[in-house]
Amino acid sequence: MKIREIDLKRYRKGIIPVLILAGLVFWTAKICNLNFNHILSGFWKGFEFTLKMFPPDLSTLPELIEPALVTLSEALLGTVFGTLLSIPLAVLAASNTSSPWIRNLVRFFISLERALPEIIIALILVAAVGLGVLPGILSLTLGCLGMMGKLLADSIEEVDPSSLEAIQSVGARKAQVIYYGVIPNLIPKITSYALFRFEINVRLSLILGAVGAGGIGYNLVYAFNMIEYHKAMTAVILIALIVFGSERISFFLRNKIKMEASLK
Amino acid sequence: MKTGSWVLPSKRFKQRILWTFLCSMVLIGISFFIGFNPTSLFTDFHYVWEVIGEMLPPDFSGLWKSPAWIIAIGETISMAFLGTVIGSSLSLILAFLCAKNTMPFSWIRILVLSFLTSLRSIPTLTFLMIFVIAVGIGPFSGFLTLLIITLGTFARLFSETIENIDPKPSESIESVGAGNLQIIRFAILPEILPNFIANILFSFDVNIRTAIALGVLGGGGIGYQFDEAMRVLHYRQAMAVVFIIILLIIPMEKVSDYQRKKLLGPGLIS
Repeated sequence: MKIREIDLKRYRKGIIPVLILAGLVFWTAKICNLNFNHILSGFWKGFEFTLKMFPPDLSTLPELIEPALVTLSEALLGTVFGTLLSIPLAVLAASNTSSPWIRNLVRFFISLERALPEIIIALILVAAVGLGVLPGILSLTLGCLGMMGKLLADSIEEVDPSSLEAIQSVGARKAQVIYYGVIPNLIPKITSYALFRFEINVRLSLILGAVGAGGIGYNLVYAFNMIEYHKAMTAVILIALIVFGSERISFFLRNKIKMEASLK
Repeated sequence: MKTGSWVLPSKRFKQRILWTFLCSMVLIGISFFIGFNPTSLFTDFHYVWEVIGEMLPPDFSGLWKSPAWIIAIGETISMAFLGTVIGSSLSLILAFLCAKNTMPFSWIRILVLSFLTSLRSIPTLTFLMIFVIAVGIGPFSGFLTLLIITLGTFARLFSETIENIDPKPSESIESVGAGNLQIIRFAILPEILPNFIANILFSFDVNIRTAIALGVLGGGGIGYQFDEAMRVLHYRQAMAVVFIIILLIIPMEKVSDYQRKKLLGPGLIS
């Protein structure tokens, strides 16, 4: 009896947080018009519908290959441009390579950019320049800038100051310090972040395709809207293969970079 | 000898030129393939300024004219909150089912792991389309999609955390006769709890962004309002929604960053 009392006493502190959490859950569920009995039935309906999509219609595969390649190329171009542009931005946003007010200004813009989901940027760009790959690549580039700019700026600030001072002491100018002191330190990080971002960009470019930025996302949504569910299933399988493949490649290369960096 | 190596370009330099050349050729080839013309960035960019000019000043009247926007903001936040809470609790359970040191049966582990991998590989868009067709447009389908995304991402993360814990506490309480469940409760859970809470906060941050993106595609919430405003060319209202989205996301990010720093220490955030 006594042991049981002690056992329960330990949870007394947790009562109020759990009650608050439960209250929030019920309140938010009410806002969403969500009934907890519906969750399982919703999943079940989704599952039943997925079964209806089988078998995939493989005869549509040839016409899906090209949009799939467009999606991949879009992600690749977005990553490359974003990475190249984010390096100068990161140099401007790091406290040890630029003046404080430039740093704060650039950081403000980076965080503003990161607060905007890519799909919103893509919708605005689609409204401006029309359907096509241009809005997709632009918004992926901007998204890449926002993430890589912040991460790279943080890692520039972590660069060992003694190596920078050593270069300064032999008479290097600011640009030379950055080129010979900062950038070589960053190369492994830049590559691994870029690979990681490529993985994200592949997923994003699918979603952007759905709002008209080109690629297989558009075909997927179109197939769903045209009630061609078997074709949609083919697209889903193709997309899953692409995403899985790009994730594996990115993971493998990142691990390799990590290994090489640790050997040095 | 010395001057020779000084005058001729070094091997490394040649290599670098070759690689740069090859990479740029590949990029140019890809650009041709998808019909992307970088000069159109400069020729077409004034359209972007025109649209942004039309969007300013933002028209916030939707906030008080009708309750639709307020409801939409509430829906987005609740979608993200519910997806995070329910998704991360479920993913904690799944994580224990697929971590090597808590799940003795390898077939269950492989089953759960392959399920999670397939959840992560199938794109968000598919789940959303399926749920929109199955249960209709609205926050409910967005919530179900968010739940699945949270499961796919965080169950794997948690299981890696569980696998990477220090085995000594579990061994020591095993040696005094604790069962498997007791090991989980008294050795593993306390060790992963800070990481778990930090990841929940991170997942809330991610889920709010995803909830907005899902809204645009038919998941309800503030994203849907944005899409609607863009569609009927009410650009100034759309800009107001953009401002609301920024105001929603930035505080979430700050809070999540601050709490994670507090819980994990400064060095552990990627």
